[in-house]
Amino acid sequence: MMATLLAQAADVGAAVEIPSVDWWGLAPVLLLAVPAMILLHVSSLVPRFFRGFYATVTIGVALVTASWSLGLWGRVTDAERGPFSTVGGAYGVDGFSVFLTLVICASVVLAALLADGYLRREGLEGAEPYALMLLSASGGVIMASANDLIVLFLGLEILSLAVYVLAAMHVRRITSQEAGMKYFVLGAFSSAFFLYGVAMIYGATGSTSMLDIADFLATTVLARNGLLLAGIALLLVGLGFKVAAVPFHAWTPDVYQGSPSPMVAYMASGVKAAGFAGLLRVLLLAFPTQGDIWRDIVAILACATIVGGTVAAVVQTDVKRMMAYSSISHAGFILVGVQAATARGTSAALFYLAAYTFMVGGTFGVITLVGRRGDDHHDLSDYRGLARSRPVLAVVFALFLMAQAGVPPTSGFFAKFGVMSAAVEGGAYWLAIVAMVASVIGAFVYLRLIVTMFGAAEGDDAHAGAAGGEAEADDAEAVSATTAAASPERAGSAAIAALALAAAVTVVVGLVPSLVSDPSGEAVPVLVHPTPGRQLASP
Amino acid sequence: MPALTLALLGAEGAAAPTFPVLSALILLPALGAALCAVLPKNRPDTVRQVAFLAAAATGVLSLWVMYHFDRSDAGFQFLEQKIWVRDFGIGWHLGVDGISLFLVVLTGLLFPLTIVAVTPEHEPKPYYAWLLLLQAGCMGVFVGLDLFAFFVFFEVVLVPMYFLIAGWGHGDSSKVALKFFLYTMLGSALMLVGILSLVTLHARASGGPVTFDLVTLAENQVLATTTARWIFLSFAAAFAIKVPLFPVHTWLPDAHTEAPTAGSVILAGVMLKLGTYGFIRFGLYLFPEATTYFAPLFLTLGVIGIIYGAIAATMQRDLKRLVAYSSVAHLGFIILGTFALNRQGLSGGILQMVNHGLSTGALFLLVGMIYERRHTRLISELNGLQKAAPILAGIFTVVMLSSIGLPGLNGFVGEYLTLLGAFASARWWGVVATAGVILAALYLLWAYQRVFHGAAQGAANEELAEINWREGLALAPLLAGIVFLGVYPKPMLNRIEPAVERLVAHLDANLGDDFVEVQGPAVERRGAEDLVHLAEEAEASAEAGGGHGDGAAGTEHEDGEG
Amino acid sequence: MVELVWLIPALPLAGFVVLVVAGRRLGEPAAGWLATLAVSGSFVAALITFAGLASRPAVERFYIQTLFEWIPVGNFSVDVGFLVDPLSMTMTLFVTGIAALIHLYSIGYMHGDADFSRFFVYLNLFVFSMLMLVLGDNLLLTFLGWEGVGACSYLLISFWFTNPANASAGKKAFVTNRVGDFGFMLAMFLLWTTIGSIRYADVLTTASSMAAVTATAVTLLLLVGAAGKSAQLPLFVWLPDAMAGPTPVSALIHAATMVTAGVYLLVRMNPVIAASYDWAPYVIAWVGALTALFAATAAVAQNDIKKVLAYSTISQLGYLFLAVGVGGYVPAIFHMVTHAFFKALLFLGSGSVIHGMHHEQDMRRYGGLYKLLPVTAATFIVGWLAIAGVPPFAGFWSKDEILAVAWNLPGAQGKVLWAIGLVTAILTAFYMSRQVFMTFFGRYRFGEPDAEEIAAGWDAKLAAAEAAASEADGSVEAARAEVETALASRSETEAALVAARAASDEAAAAAAAVPATELEAAQAALDAAGDDRKAKKEAQNRLKELEKPVKDADKAAKAATKAAEAVDKVTVSIGEAEARVEELVGAAASARSLVEQVRAEARAKKPTSSLVPLFSVADSSDVEDFLPAEVEHRRHHTPHESPALMTVPLLVLSIGAIGAGALNLPFASSTKFLEHWLEPSLFGHEVHLGLSGPHKVLLAVVAVLGGLIGILAAAQTYLRGAIRREGIEAPILAKAWGIDGAYAAVAGGPGTQGFEAVAAFDRRVVDGSVMGIGRLVAMVSALVRRAQTGLVRSYALGVTFGVVLLLVLFLTKATY
Repeated sequence: MMATLLAQAADVGAAVEIPSVDWWGLAPVLLLAVPAMILLHVSSLVPRFFRGFYATVTIGVALVTASWSLGLWGRVTDAERGPFSTVGGAYGVDGFSVFLTLVICASVVLAALLADGYLRREGLEGAEPYALMLLSASGGVIMASANDLIVLFLGLEILSLAVYVLAAMHVRRITSQEAGMKYFVLGAFSSAFFLYGVAMIYGATGSTSMLDIADFLATTVLARNGLLLAGIALLLVGLGFKVAAVPFHAWTPDVYQGSPSPMVAYMASGVKAAGFAGLLRVLLLAFPTQGDIWRDIVAILACATIVGGTVAAVVQTDVKRMMAYSSISHAGFILVGVQAATARGTSAALFYLAAYTFMVGGTFGVITLVGRRGDDHHDLSDYRGLARSRPVLAVVFALFLMAQAGVPPTSGFFAKFGVMSAAVEGGAYWLAIVAMVASVIGAFVYLRLIVTMFGAAEGDDAHAGAAGGEAEADDAEAVSATTAAASPERAGSAAIAALALAAAVTVVVGLVPSLVSDPSGEAVPVLVHPTPGRQLASP
Repeated sequence: MPALTLALLGAEGAAAPTFPVLSALILLPALGAALCAVLPKNRPDTVRQVAFLAAAATGVLSLWVMYHFDRSDAGFQFLEQKIWVRDFGIGWHLGVDGISLFLVVLTGLLFPLTIVAVTPEHEPKPYYAWLLLLQAGCMGVFVGLDLFAFFVFFEVVLVPMYFLIAGWGHGDSSKVALKFFLYTMLGSALMLVGILSLVTLHARASGGPVTFDLVTLAENQVLATTTARWIFLSFAAAFAIKVPLFPVHTWLPDAHTEAPTAGSVILAGVMLKLGTYGFIRFGLYLFPEATTYFAPLFLTLGVIGIIYGAIAATMQRDLKRLVAYSSVAHLGFIILGTFALNRQGLSGGILQMVNHGLSTGALFLLVGMIYERRHTRLISELNGLQKAAPILAGIFTVVMLSSIGLPGLNGFVGEYLTLLGAFASARWWGVVATAGVILAALYLLWAYQRVFHGAAQGAANEELAEINWREGLALAPLLAGIVFLGVYPKPMLNRIEPAVERLVAHLDANLGDDFVEVQGPAVERRGAEDLVHLAEEAEASAEAGGGHGDGAAGTEHEDGEG
Repeated sequence: MVELVWLIPALPLAGFVVLVVAGRRLGEPAAGWLATLAVSGSFVAALITFAGLASRPAVERFYIQTLFEWIPVGNFSVDVGFLVDPLSMTMTLFVTGIAALIHLYSIGYMHGDADFSRFFVYLNLFVFSMLMLVLGDNLLLTFLGWEGVGACSYLLISFWFTNPANASAGKKAFVTNRVGDFGFMLAMFLLWTTIGSIRYADVLTTASSMAAVTATAVTLLLLVGAAGKSAQLPLFVWLPDAMAGPTPVSALIHAATMVTAGVYLLVRMNPVIAASYDWAPYVIAWVGALTALFAATAAVAQNDIKKVLAYSTISQLGYLFLAVGVGGYVPAIFHMVTHAFFKALLFLGSGSVIHGMHHEQDMRRYGGLYKLLPVTAATFIVGWLAIAGVPPFAGFWSKDEILAVAWNLPGAQGKVLWAIGLVTAILTAFYMSRQVFMTFFGRYRFGEPDAEEIAAGWDAKLAAAEAAASEADGSVEAARAEVETALASRSETEAALVAARAASDEAAAAAAAVPATELEAAQAALDAAGDDRKAKKEAQNRLKELEKPVKDADKAAKAATKAAEAVDKVTVSIGEAEARVEELVGAAASARSLVEQVRAEARAKKPTSSLVPLFSVADSSDVEDFLPAEVEHRRHHTPHESPALMTVPLLVLSIGAIGAGALNLPFASSTKFLEHWLEPSLFGHEVHLGLSGPHKVLLAVVAVLGGLIGILAAAQTYLRGAIRREGIEAPILAKAWGIDGAYAAVAGGPGTQGFEAVAAFDRRVVDGSVMGIGRLVAMVSALVRRAQTGLVRSYALGVTFGVVLLLVLFLTKATY
């Protein structure tokens, strides 16, 4: 035992050399990060640009990155060239990473579109938010492509730090400050666990490179080594925190409620995507051999997350909190895909992430508009009669909510369908049943919101009434608020674009799911050693 | 309705259609809905006309399908098969057979009639859009031969109905709509798991690719018995709630009562059939063994529904609620027939689906008309209406008698066949169910007496407006159907039976000796001459002084119990 | 010619359709004539068909006409087709014939009704259904007719729907019949599952090979159905109520045709009955016999002319069942036909009476009508004699045969059944005679107040008297009050008098006190003054001053006398007042005594029982002014004979009631036309009397004697009053032994409660549990919400907890 470890160590020591860098593969990260820096500097040099400049730039950057990634997609899905890795194998470019890069770019575009109007409204114009978003996106991309736990941690931190600031960005909203603080403290807390995990795994396997770990575990029999398992557990904590899995979810409601709505859109989509990217990559690439161990545990996490998120959402009367919990339960559904640990499962999870990005983007888009100046009209009562004052907005919102409820023909339905079939395929019937029952309870949450919008006069959310005193209380104040609530600000063209895009994707993908399910099917993570030829079959 | 008659009588295997007619049946109303949604808000009449045209066109198309339906072909016709989602093995697979044909026609006709009969109290635009979307969804359920497609439509219909109830209903409608939505969604949630399990296990067991194709899944039964039973139960949960069966029926009275007239008509006329249809098409066909295994359970639930629904109906104070509970009873008959698992029962059940659509649809229209005039559905508020509105009363009488199951009207034929089938294969269930026939007369006649008979009190009752031409126009086809199908159901039965036979054969093929279709023994028809013969023998033996003549020819028939 | 059979039902159907479409426009009387025409047409068609059938050799009198296949599924198949054989032909003939007559009659009877055309719509539909019932070539088609006539009966009973009673009667009829139909349906199911067909051709020919148990089951189930349709125990309850319908309806549906359907069905299925256990038919016989007796007893005590006939019908139908049960199919059909004639006749007659008597149906208010309604009376009497079994009227022959076949039954059972039949016959004769006597003979009582009305009068009178008495008391009180006030005022005036007297005495005293000397001196001084002005003045003043007291005294005296007068006046008035009180008290007393007297009178004269004094004129002289208003109306209304439209059918039917017996005369085999005619349809299951000629004659004589006894008893009771009626018209009989009441009690009490319980269960338990789950979720959610404190440290704790959890989960799987 000890001997093998020493041997490994020696081996690693020997392997030190200047790694070759494939800039083409690395480009997405740079395309996101570099403009972010420039943006910061330029904005400090040049006082004013035409309105919407920063947003435009950001979107441009995201689109460029996306199109570049599409190029890469062509390369990695190409039969003879295929996926590859660079920087000494620390950075892998495969269908998986490219797919997620695209998802993250999409969430950046949506968030930027929403942020434009929002920041102007709140008088927070400036380059910082956009720059931070781009930076965190680059972090996300790194996570999605990391072949080394350290690299993964790097990405994680780049992503997180930027997001902490984004959360606290609304200087005049104390809740925003609080959100940032909480997010930061807890984030740091969990990151620490992640780092411990990495250390333990290094201790157990003698490497932080997933390639070596995978090789090592494939060749060496320490399937049930306590140190290793503890390490995996702690990695799970760090990433579970990012994706807001129960019991690491507690920060989510507060942060989502406090943070500026467009940023929440980004957190719920981009950050979540990155988190899952890391999770999937680690579990599938580094620890396939431990699959039968972590699958059950992830399944438990998934179950807890779905149920916890859904049930908690039932009595919420603050829409942002409600959506926070709903995003928790969605994370649970994605975990269902993860626990399958199959190609189908991964594909389903990716599909879910892609679909959810647009759903939640749209959702928080509407919330942004209804929130109005000060970003604090998020009570259920603020939505009363929305259908009469702003029919289109209401219908669109209803669409997003129905999609989240998983009602066909929307992308949301197929997303759930995918993860469920993955679960059933993996034989996790109990999980599937629990998840579906929970989805019905979830439907109640969304329908309650719809009922409110479509202004059923009184006695609508009587269920909530039964739930707790608070509900009645806000019913009461709601009646007074009704008149005031019924008129959110006009949506700026950017916001309209965002909503239109999100809605279109939600419907189209719902009708023709193969648009996404085909690519997500091919987007399986693989480990490729820097020196071509040696390639481990993907699990 | 003459069109319907013609279509039924004509049609010896007409030429196969070239264009995807079934897709058209789904897309036409869907497009109509889209059109309604984009039309200007300030032109309600245009919206209404567009909606009617779309719905009517669909109806005509459905008649066309019936006309070209080849009655000699037991299998699916007008087949369409395209790939929808490749790597999930999901296909766009449509087709109709004798089982779904008339439900398609019913869906085609009931919607335009509803549009003619009732106008929404407000916001016509979304109203008609939802209604048409609903039609598209229902069509999809009845023609879908791919489990995924079926499930999608099965779910899709909830949304428009939800909005119709919540938006245009009376009373505490949004809460009721919520109840309806969640209740039914719970069922389909379980079914989804069932579908997925079925598909995966099937693929695994058969070694073939994953497919959601109904026919493929049904035709090669590869699942282990117990597994199949579990999956069947998950399907049954969804269907039982949709039907609805006791004890998961309580969403129905609420939904029916609070829904707008159109909602109630469609809910009763078409949407409840989603459940019963599902039991036949996706329960029996996919899980022959499980169906037979659980038959006693569902027979019992059906019988309970018949008696329990009737009793509950008797005690209702709200006319609409009463009709709603009567639906519980009527659908009990359908379930009874389905799980009788013989031709009489199944055909009767399918016939009864259409009959119930006509009768209860008409009943809800009539109640709606009364409500429009009196703004109350409370039986205690209504009395002596027959004096003021004899024609309305007359139509109500006919529809009521059809619902009671008076021979010569449509209700009887289906009811009789289901009971006949049940009596043959599940005697005592059949006997108890037959007793339900008494109760049916009780609650409807009593309601009629209280509402239409007696001396009218209060101006509102004395000067009730007689039905107008528009309402008459909407009711006429239903009445025609009620009478026609009562007098001459043969053309319909002829088209249903091959499919039913195929279903029974399917049971036989998959169960072998474990299943015997129980029906009366086959006999060669005797005629007048046999009677003459008998009389002669009697005379002969009388002359021989034999007293009672027992000379009738005939072989020993053993009892039909299996 | 037989091929024309389809026309028979087709014509009424056509009539129905035309009337539905154009009935309102045709209006009265065109609609009625059209309907009549249609039915007459089908009667003609029936005659033609009959001729065609009769022209064939006896055994070949079977013809099946198939129009189209109705319900074909798998091994189950029924057609819409007709089976023409002697049995169905017989039914068809008398159904269409009598229906035609009653249509004609109805034109007159329904004259002026707002819903004239609707009535004939239903009537035609009924005839159509009835013909389907009779002619159908399979049980299901018969069932169609069976339920069809039921529906028409429902529609016609509740024809005058504004009266709630009629409406419920209709509903009751339908629902009760449904109970019977339950049996009918099961019988059909059973037949199909065992012999694979419900077509008569198949059933009748294979019946003999049926297992006895099955055959018995079928028979009994059909009996249930028949008992419902033919109002036998225990399902008879709807028929008496059905009288709520217009009288022609009662005649057609509830006497002549529909109610005989049960018997027809049983006769039709005779091979099945033959194939069942021996005891099965006897069940039918006993049901019939008991019903016959029971209904006859009930009929005795009815006062509503139609109720009598209703119970009579039930009783006669009992006879038919009895006949069927003992294998006497021919007598059954025979009596069915004769009964159709005379009972229709009786009903139409009663209708004519009711029509003539301003819709008065209470026989107690009839009497002596034969003068006013000669034709009606004559024909009614014919019907009476027929049903009473007086030879040579139709009823005699048919009833006699039934009794004979009952007697013919081997063993004691036959004798008992025969005895029941005989008793029933006696009762029948009795109550029918009662009806005739009360209606057409005796005193003309229409103008008289009957017992109840007189009683009402007495109550009114008593009330009036009591009112007067109390009024008198009131005035006495008033007078007393007056006296009181008067007394009060006297005491005042007396006080005034005393005061006045005192004053005057005082004044007088003062006057006396003035000394005369000074007076004289004053006078002298005046005289002396002369023309000395000053002195004169002084003197005068002095004189005045001296005279003043005197004057005052006089004044006071006057006042005193006034006061005295006032006192006297008051005293007088008091006297008067007291006198008035005296007399008023007297009056009050007399008034009260009058009340007492009236009460006494009432006690003596007020009729206690509702029985009419048929012989002594009820004495209403004392209460003349207090009788209910309708009495007055009746007095001013003279009954009139009905128009020809109504009397002609009566005459025609009475011919039938006289002559129908000729259909089947027992004298010789050759005279038993009906028996020979029906023979093929009975497939030799008809019993053949093993009785010698004299034996039969003896039975006939006994039967006739029985009838005569009944009539004589009735005459003694209702014409001569020799027998007291209280014992006969017992309340329990009037309530038909309270069976109906019992049903109502159960349905209204436990029944309703049970139903309510189910409805409540559905609301509370079934739905409640569903909603409960929803609430549960909400509660849990509320709990979870508590956990969300918003404190970073608690969140961190949560994370740590998670860490521990995961570590545990993973490490439990670890091995070292």
